Amino acid sequence: MIKFDIREDKHTGEKLYSARHESGLGIYIIPKPEYSGTYAILGTRYGSVDSEFVVPGEKEPICVPDGIAHYLEHKMFDQPDGSNVFDKFSKYGGNANAFTSFNITAYLVSSTSNFEENLSTLLDYVQSPYYTDETVEKEQGIIGQEIRMYDDNPGWKLFFNFINCLYREHPVKKEIAGTVESISHITADYLYKCYNTFYNLSNMSLVIAGNVDIQSASKVIEAGIKKNEPFTEPIKKIYPQEPKDIKMQYVEKKMAIASPMFMMGFKDNDVNLSGRELLKKDIEMRILMRMLFAKGSDIYKKLYESNLINSTFSLDYTVQPDYGFTSLDGESKNPKEVYETILDELEKLSKTGLSYNKYERAKKVVWGRYIRMYNDIEDLSTTFMQYLFMGVDYFDYYDVYKSVTFEDVENRFKEHFKREYSALSVINPL
Amino acid sequence: MKQIQINENIKLNYINMTKLKTTSVGIYIHRPLTKKNASYDTLLAAVLKSASRLYPSREDIAASLDNLYGATMGSTVLKMGEDHIIYFDAETISDKYTPNGEKLLSELLRLLMSVVFEPKVCDGAFDEKIVEQERQGVLDRIDAFINDKRQYASSRCQEETARGTDFAIMRYGDKATISQITPKSLYEYYKSIITSSVIDIYVCGDADINTAVSAVTDYVSELNFEKAEVTKTQIIDRDVTEVNNVTEAMDVTQGKLAMGYITGIKPDDADYYALVVFNSVFGAGAHSKLFNNVREKLSLAYYASSQLEKFKGMLIVNAGIEFQNFEKARDEVMMQLEEIKQGNISDHEFTSSINAIVNTCNAYYDDQRALATYYLSDSITATNRTLDEYISEIKKVTVEDVANVAKKLKLDTVYFLTGKGAENND
Repeated sequence: MIKFDIREDKHTGEKLYSARHESGLGIYIIPKPEYSGTYAILGTRYGSVDSEFVVPGEKEPICVPDGIAHYLEHKMFDQPDGSNVFDKFSKYGGNANAFTSFNITAYLVSSTSNFEENLSTLLDYVQSPYYTDETVEKEQGIIGQEIRMYDDNPGWKLFFNFINCLYREHPVKKEIAGTVESISHITADYLYKCYNTFYNLSNMSLVIAGNVDIQSASKVIEAGIKKNEPFTEPIKKIYPQEPKDIKMQYVEKKMAIASPMFMMGFKDNDVNLSGRELLKKDIEMRILMRMLFAKGSDIYKKLYESNLINSTFSLDYTVQPDYGFTSLDGESKNPKEVYETILDELEKLSKTGLSYNKYERAKKVVWGRYIRMYNDIEDLSTTFMQYLFMGVDYFDYYDVYKSVTFEDVENRFKEHFKREYSALSVINPL
Repeated sequence: MKQIQINENIKLNYINMTKLKTTSVGIYIHRPLTKKNASYDTLLAAVLKSASRLYPSREDIAASLDNLYGATMGSTVLKMGEDHIIYFDAETISDKYTPNGEKLLSELLRLLMSVVFEPKVCDGAFDEKIVEQERQGVLDRIDAFINDKRQYASSRCQEETARGTDFAIMRYGDKATISQITPKSLYEYYKSIITSSVIDIYVCGDADINTAVSAVTDYVSELNFEKAEVTKTQIIDRDVTEVNNVTEAMDVTQGKLAMGYITGIKPDDADYYALVVFNSVFGAGAHSKLFNNVREKLSLAYYASSQLEKFKGMLIVNAGIEFQNFEKARDEVMMQLEEIKQGNISDHEFTSSINAIVNTCNAYYDDQRALATYYLSDSITATNRTLDEYISEIKKVTVEDVANVAKKLKLDTVYFLTGKGAENND
């Protein structure tokens, strides 16, 4: 039987069961016995940024076509017997899906009955690759339409143009699904190479939250894990060296929209952190972003009352061990003026200093967000996995949150908001 | 669910859900959907949430919410059939998760009641600056409607299918009417509706019901209410002699096909449940005919799905396709409907559909807003069925029922959003 470590968080009342299976698979379960639903997500540390790597056992690195992680995700649904795995889930009332992000590919199922059958199906299909050149070919049309759908999505274009300003080399700037051209080079052979590298169970984790019985889930997992030789060394992923400076400060594009949309932000150059250090930076940045730009901040008031932004204005911070950036986006009649106003106000603020009151308020908000994250089993499992793959233990949150001080946030403020690391992306109406 | 009638118009509905860590509050003010109301309701919702007598500025409201550990409060309008609803949504973490034992919910209710029943008014008008800013925001929202092409195509198809009825009025109203509203006329409108509309309040989570009741009563006991009713929506019921073909061109790279069907079935009809199952078999999920044929078999689309507009008895199909595949995709959708009419539904398609619906419904029990919305829409359609009753009726539907329902569908509108310069290609 799988032996679990059990931890309890007294602030949330939640329990975490964790274990590493001998196959290398990490297993994390957060039971919520009063819930109707159960959510399971099986993910690998492999995303759109991983186009160059060394296949274990080989010496030379290989380069694969862009968009392949996402392509592979689509092709996992084909089964060796010619069936489609959705059919199996449907039979058990499981709602199955998958996603590919910059750093993660994940397969998930949510259900309110037959959880064991759904979990067993999930484990089975993700461990059963089956690609032929014919089935690979067939997907070109579907993914081609998916890419075109994104091409018509102004928010998506805005975002990718923005990170293409910030990054010179890092593959985070590439579209997750690739291009119609890049995916035309994908073959079954490439897919197997990627699968055999990144879908080794020692590179994967299973997270379950909701109405789950530990004993029976544990039996299903034990029976569902296929023979796997765990890697003894980390997979060698090759990323180009990213300089501190940005590629360009401004980019614009025209699309069929009503009024200009903008996204601006700053490249985070304090990178290569992991574990508690990374989580601490994350919390500090989120507090800071709220202090500076949320409703109720001086900058928001100034922009809103001069009609430069409207209710679509929002803020975000994206973090990974090797890259990060803050972003502000919305609609504006004059994006360049928004950009200049924000830089000016930040400049003024760096002279007068941050308000301690606002720090305390923003810190409260961040705590509320953390508590709220436990509500939805899908958000919880996904967030838990994202942090896990960054080397962060989500159950450390309270301790790390408590350790954040006003001085820490002030230091982040001084370090992060530099004009030379900022960029503005705009989509203008035709 | 506990229901407490506060007065002739206001009802408080409490759903105890302590397994979640938050408590949510929804206030729904029901208005008949008319051209004027749609515009006034939309601006009113935006103005009310910006300030109140107790919290006279946006910053005061934001600071107060932040201090409640990032409680949220927002407002918008909903269109549920021809019931146009001014909707306030608020949420806080439940009191037991505050580090210092603060009482968040009672504070949040006070804020919300103040915003709805005690607005910031001077000289018989709303604050002029706020009205101007929020007017601009609302006009921006209406303009931005074209930004999301997939949603745009689907809504345009609904509008076309519902042509000639009030349902064709846009949810946020129209720019001309909104531009003419003054701070005074908006306040006059507010005064005329606040005591003469049905108001539903849903509290869901961990609350002391008596505290909630008195928080509401305190604010409304002085007002004189005039008994109101929720607008009943008639489904579309007309003969289709000719399909309404609508093509629009925009600068897009992918064509968006939308097809509007008239079902003739009301939410309280006996075959409504069969219609829900039909929709699932036809196009709601990876088990559906549209997904497996339009997408998987023919590789014509990434998304191909159907959805019900139950209040109006419509069903809309959506697919994103290459411009030149318009006829091929449209014909395939019609052909899949034909298959269902013939009763060609596999055991797998049928069972999967029932399972998917039941799964979705059961998941409402873990989601405060979904559960509140279920009961709200149940009360609007006056169907009076609990979620459990609904689920058990779904389970009784047979393959024959689904085929019979399919025979009632009439294709009314075929809408296509095509590329500029691509009009002649198909």
